[in-house]
Amino acid sequence: MTGADGERATDGDRGSRAARLRERVESNALTALAVLTSAALVVAFYYPTATVLVEAVVVDGVVTLAVFAEVLTDPFYFGELARLLSGESPVAVARALLSPDRRLGIVGFTAYQAVLSTIASVALGLPAAYLLARFEFPGRRTLRSLTIVPFVLPSIMVAVGFVATFGDNGTLNAALTALGLPPVDLLFTLEAVVIAHAFYNAPLVARVTTAAWESVDASAVETARSLGAGPVRAFVDVVAPQVYPAVLTGAALTFVFTFGTFPIVLALGGFQLATVEVFVYRLVRDLSYAEAAALAIVELVVSLGVLLAYLRYEARNRTRTRGARPLPRRSLVPPAPTLRELLPRAGLAAYVLVAGVIFLAPIASMILASATGGDGALTLEHYRFLIERQQTGAAFQVRPWPAIRNSLAFAAAATLLALPMGVVVAVLTTRRYRGRTLVDAAAMAPLAVSGIIVGLGLLRGLVFGVEVAGWRIAASGAVAIVVAHAVSGYPFVVRTVSPGLSGLDRSLVESARALGASRARVIRDVELPLVWPAVVAGAAFAFAISIGEFTSTVVLATGADAYTMPVAIERFIGRRLGPATAMGVVLLVVTGLSFVVIERLGGETRGL
Amino acid sequence: MGSERGAEVASDGPVAVELDGVSKRYGETTAVDDVSLRVREGEFFTLVGPSGCGKTTTLRLIAGFEEPTSGTVRFAGESVAGVPPEDRDVGVVFQSYALFPHMTVGENVAYGLNFADPPDGVTRDERVAELLELVDLPDAADRDPESLSGGQQQRIAMARALAPGPDVLLLDEPMSALDARLRERLRAQVKRIQSELGITTIYVTHDQEEALAVSDRVAVMNGGTPEQVAPPRTVYREPATRFVAEFVGDNNVFAGRVAESLGGGELAVDVDGGDETLRVATDGEQEAGERIAFCVRPEHLRVASAADGTSAGDAPVGENALRATVASAEFLGETTRVTLDWGDRELLVRTVDPLDGAVAVGFDPSDAHVIEVESR
Repeated sequence: MTGADGERATDGDRGSRAARLRERVESNALTALAVLTSAALVVAFYYPTATVLVEAVVVDGVVTLAVFAEVLTDPFYFGELARLLSGESPVAVARALLSPDRRLGIVGFTAYQAVLSTIASVALGLPAAYLLARFEFPGRRTLRSLTIVPFVLPSIMVAVGFVATFGDNGTLNAALTALGLPPVDLLFTLEAVVIAHAFYNAPLVARVTTAAWESVDASAVETARSLGAGPVRAFVDVVAPQVYPAVLTGAALTFVFTFGTFPIVLALGGFQLATVEVFVYRLVRDLSYAEAAALAIVELVVSLGVLLAYLRYEARNRTRTRGARPLPRRSLVPPAPTLRELLPRAGLAAYVLVAGVIFLAPIASMILASATGGDGALTLEHYRFLIERQQTGAAFQVRPWPAIRNSLAFAAAATLLALPMGVVVAVLTTRRYRGRTLVDAAAMAPLAVSGIIVGLGLLRGLVFGVEVAGWRIAASGAVAIVVAHAVSGYPFVVRTVSPGLSGLDRSLVESARALGASRARVIRDVELPLVWPAVVAGAAFAFAISIGEFTSTVVLATGADAYTMPVAIERFIGRRLGPATAMGVVLLVVTGLSFVVIERLGGETRGL
Repeated sequence: MGSERGAEVASDGPVAVELDGVSKRYGETTAVDDVSLRVREGEFFTLVGPSGCGKTTTLRLIAGFEEPTSGTVRFAGESVAGVPPEDRDVGVVFQSYALFPHMTVGENVAYGLNFADPPDGVTRDERVAELLELVDLPDAADRDPESLSGGQQQRIAMARALAPGPDVLLLDEPMSALDARLRERLRAQVKRIQSELGITTIYVTHDQEEALAVSDRVAVMNGGTPEQVAPPRTVYREPATRFVAEFVGDNNVFAGRVAESLGGGELAVDVDGGDETLRVATDGEQEAGERIAFCVRPEHLRVASAADGTSAGDAPVGENALRATVASAEFLGETTRVTLDWGDRELLVRTVDPLDGAVAVGFDPSDAHVIEVESR
């Protein structure tokens, strides 16, 4: 603080006042960014959501729990449990629950299908993790990075793919008929929904599990072996405890995602298999906002409960093994024809077959269906339909080009918004301070809140306008869609960027600060450049989430010409499968191309 | 203990860094406990102690990475409470080097010059060249930090910390990740650079040998407080506490009761765990019946083989003769460090010739140092 500081002070006097101002702005930049991000979240998420949710408890200007009570005690929603809540004896309820003709209600069914989907996802994801983490084969890295693809595929497109696979005239029945077997009717069944959810979430389970498995230190296993544990025992004692938390991560996220599922069930289950979210949508369409809000709150409580329980668990079990020597990978070609070498490989071969059908069939079927006419012959008529619709479609009809253009424009804008928000939240949640878990949860809440509700809140708040101090502030539907997409995309930016940030050597940051850099400057000069691949991955995520977002878009795009490709697909699917699949292929191509572009712009992508 | 802690007060030169009753607590644990220190301008000051003694936390409090729970840190007499690290004009070098991997060596060294003009009116490039020259890596500017060896990376980290011309250089275990021989070379270089620049330097290490080799003054820390702050020679020859005596170098610590004051600054002490009464020199005023501890360095213990059956008193070991047997020996090259069994405790001696079996050990009363007086 002596000599050099004095010099610096005189420099400052000689220099302009602007320089000092800049310095002050810079030193407070992080705080300013945090405030801006919070404000954005309040405007784009918390306020709109709150305005909707409040309807559940405020009816005609009077605070009441009547709507809640109604929902909670209605067997239609809560099945046999509702009888418990309305005061019946637990014994009678338990007996009813155990009887074969029990009623689960909408909420019960939603949880039930979420549990089934989670089990299926874990079952389908774990062998993939085993394959990816423990074996070496050509294309392993590519396959590993491909595991992210299903997760970011637009859900409505996947639904179309599943219809094309499992529908009455789908590829599955075509294959069964060709083999002389009776056709099956899987569409609008629970099985189809669960398989579609597994398609989505199994790669996520595989991904987090593989990462944990790869970070197991080989010397820990070798120590166990040298102490007398056999290979199985060493796995149980050393590897499994380190991999298990990751499996739980995958399972928790899968549960939350599938509990709030919407497009998949809407397309594959219809209202026969309605989940909470589908029902909220229906209630909103019927303008029963109070009941919709009450139901959405129930959904939120369940999802947040699981998410919070998981975050607590994660905080307690955080272990960091850095610089570990990973376990050596084995060759897929068995080194010796012994049972112990052959058995796991045979199991993997069977798995690859099943996984191949589940993951490739929907996409392949969709492409096939888009180029197949009603008579089964190859044709381009569905694509021709899209072009004709573009040229001659009426104003009220959904035309393909605006859908493509809107999707790309919204995704680009949403990414530009989600990226800084995500990075700021990642920085804030990597640092250690009191109440960090709360900030973490508040920032992650958009993952757990019904997209229908966010969409509705934005529609009535931003689009219809808000009165602020005599000014009427209203945004267009397009702006509201961008905001909604950014809100649903930025948690993924956070999730990809923060592991990299927290993995950085703390002394890098401290060195930069001791050299004179402000906290915000360190983020710009040191932290972001070092986690750049994760930032790019986060951008890709935000982009893909926006391109595929359906739930809040379908609410916000009503009436406006702000429809996107997924909305267009949904409009088509209601009438004919052909044009929907053709549109699906267009969406697939556009999404794929944008990914390539983002990859090229940012280099190698990693994360999540 | 009390007399030595008073000795840290600067007698010459202005104070660059001062800690005044500084404590740092994390919940229940106290990492730094009421530390008061003064580091003079241009001084090479070392915090040494075992892991967990609070030395790194103390350094981080000075750098501004942590704020003290209580007490004040002052730079040139002014409190720096609430001043962020970037405004403290400190240079910090970490054990992990912490070079920015996405920048070249030159960019690393120049980084701090984004926020402060190079001293002496030179350009950025000149300053970078100057510092690379200073750390003997003049051609490294365009290299990738990861392509350098550990020792080279550490020198770059040093150059980077020095480039903006900081007032204080803080080094946190800068050599712990390097091998022993390199460490010796590098510490000589650090010492040379420090005295060339005359920069106030605070150095943290767990290696007492390193601390003695480079420092003007050493603070030996234990349990969050410095037990002694003094020049290396004083710390070695006149340890203030039993902890310092045992932490800095090899030592033989004896506890016992003063049998009588012999006059002429000598005491006769009945040593615990033996029948012997030993004579030791003292500067203090101990009286008969008081319990004391004193230490004798292994190199001050004279030792001779007693295998021929002569009594210990006959062996040429001088005063305070004791009988012991060789337990083990470590050959260190120049000398051999021998552990002796004496009753149910151990003594350390250094010899040139190999030793075996029964030996006689003795020392001059003036080589003993009374380190602890327990009032009773």
